[in-house]
Amino acid sequence: MNDLKKLQLENKKAENRNTFKLRMLTVITIILFFGIWQFVVDQGIVDSRTLPSPVKIYETFLVKLTKKAPDGNLLSTNILASLQVSLYGFFSAVIIGVPLGLLMGWYKIMDKTLTPIFEIIRPIPPIAWIPIVVVWMGVGLSAKVLIIFFSAFVPCVINSYTGIQLTNKTFINVSQTFGANNFTTFIRVGVPSSLPMVMTGIKIALGNSWSTLVAAEMLAASAGLGFMIQMGRQFARADVVVLGMVLIGVLGAVLSFIFSSLEKYLLRWK
Amino acid sequence: MEQYTKKKIIYQILPLLSVSALILAWIIFSYSTGGIIFPAPISVFQRVLKTFETPIANMTIIGHTLISLKRVLIGLLVSCVSGISIGILVGSNKYLKATIGSFLEIFRPIPPIAWIPIMIMWFGIGELPKVLLIVLGSFFPVMLNTASGILLVNKINLDVGQIFGGNKLSILKEIILPTALPSIFSGIRTSVSCGWTVVLAAEMMGAQQGLGLLVMKGWGINDMALVLGAVIIIAIIGALFSYLLKKAERLLMPWNR
Repeated sequence: MNDLKKLQLENKKAENRNTFKLRMLTVITIILFFGIWQFVVDQGIVDSRTLPSPVKIYETFLVKLTKKAPDGNLLSTNILASLQVSLYGFFSAVIIGVPLGLLMGWYKIMDKTLTPIFEIIRPIPPIAWIPIVVVWMGVGLSAKVLIIFFSAFVPCVINSYTGIQLTNKTFINVSQTFGANNFTTFIRVGVPSSLPMVMTGIKIALGNSWSTLVAAEMLAASAGLGFMIQMGRQFARADVVVLGMVLIGVLGAVLSFIFSSLEKYLLRWK
Repeated sequence: MEQYTKKKIIYQILPLLSVSALILAWIIFSYSTGGIIFPAPISVFQRVLKTFETPIANMTIIGHTLISLKRVLIGLLVSCVSGISIGILVGSNKYLKATIGSFLEIFRPIPPIAWIPIMIMWFGIGELPKVLLIVLGSFFPVMLNTASGILLVNKINLDVGQIFGGNKLSILKEIILPTALPSIFSGIRTSVSCGWTVVLAAEMMGAQQGLGLLVMKGWGINDMALVLGAVIIIAIIGALFSYLLKKAERLLMPWNR
């Protein structure tokens, strides 16, 4: 008995050592990546005007916190503008898209009337809406929000629609046998059982709304991270461009992390 | 019974009704706004036909469509080949996952569209940056789905393969790939639609040919009929892509319905 325990303990130790080794490997890879990047730029192998070094990007970050050049906005203004647009679009898509998808998946009349229209609009990439929306509404907040809305709306609807159609038929029968009407069954059985799929759809929508934001801001905006990138390109300031890319990447990762934690909390009964 | 068939007929008519309502709404909207900011279907159609007489940038609308298609197909081919092979490597080996996998993970959160300006600064507006952008946009879905599909392989099946004397390559071909195929395919589906979106964005931000250029040209000279025509072609091709992929999926994986 004692020997067995010792063996298990040793096994566990070896496993821990292995995970530690893999983690170290990951860290070394990332450090190596940034190190090589810095080295290549410092040595002049790559022109620092086309590829700024990591240190230079960090310096630009610090400068942009207090200086408005070259795009005319502080970094915080840009970040807030981007967050505002993408979250407005995202939330309106969730509020409209999820109930719509659920209803389309549950009620056949809704399915037959709305699904064809949805299928026509769906293949149009959100970016292709930009000229049309801008001609309608100008380059204000509502135009950008509408473009983000299109990109986030589609996954919300599709996932809610398929999610509720996968509801276990037995549960529906049980609910009806106990005398619930169709609407009660929809609210009490259909909606909860579709929730995991709905959450996946919302997660995709969040990612879409963040990545489309860049396109919307690059083509039509006066503030925001995408706008900053575009201005950086026009003034041939590669450091501003790369800084914008890095910030978009980091903020996107943060947003999806927050959402994943929320999802875990909401679906803890699973 | 009679009620049942009645319901069935209604369900068949409803889609037609709603689609015609959509087209009617389009026509009414375009006439009530004067037909300039949102032209009617007929004028869009006429505008598309007109491109055959007076080509834009020395090319008919078919030429522009083919250019965009060519770019997207080359990019997709590159990312499918590299995505599947790197996905296999990363999915089957822990050490490769810790090195190659985490190296690639640095780039994943950056949306492909955010790469467009720096690509233009580095490589101009030729073919290379466009193909690279499409690869950036379509590589990750394929690679990640391949890697996670490989993890689905049952250990017992691998053992059986070894007992029956299969070498590494035949085990990969006969056991691992078929198991991972549905997952790989759903990755390819995502990357096709991503690639199509990215090629448009890239063409809209700087190009001399392609459907995205038509959209931007039309927008620039306030020729909304041209914009709508190009957008409709873009949508049709996007729908066609997903239809063809669905067909291919049925053909390749008849067991997975």
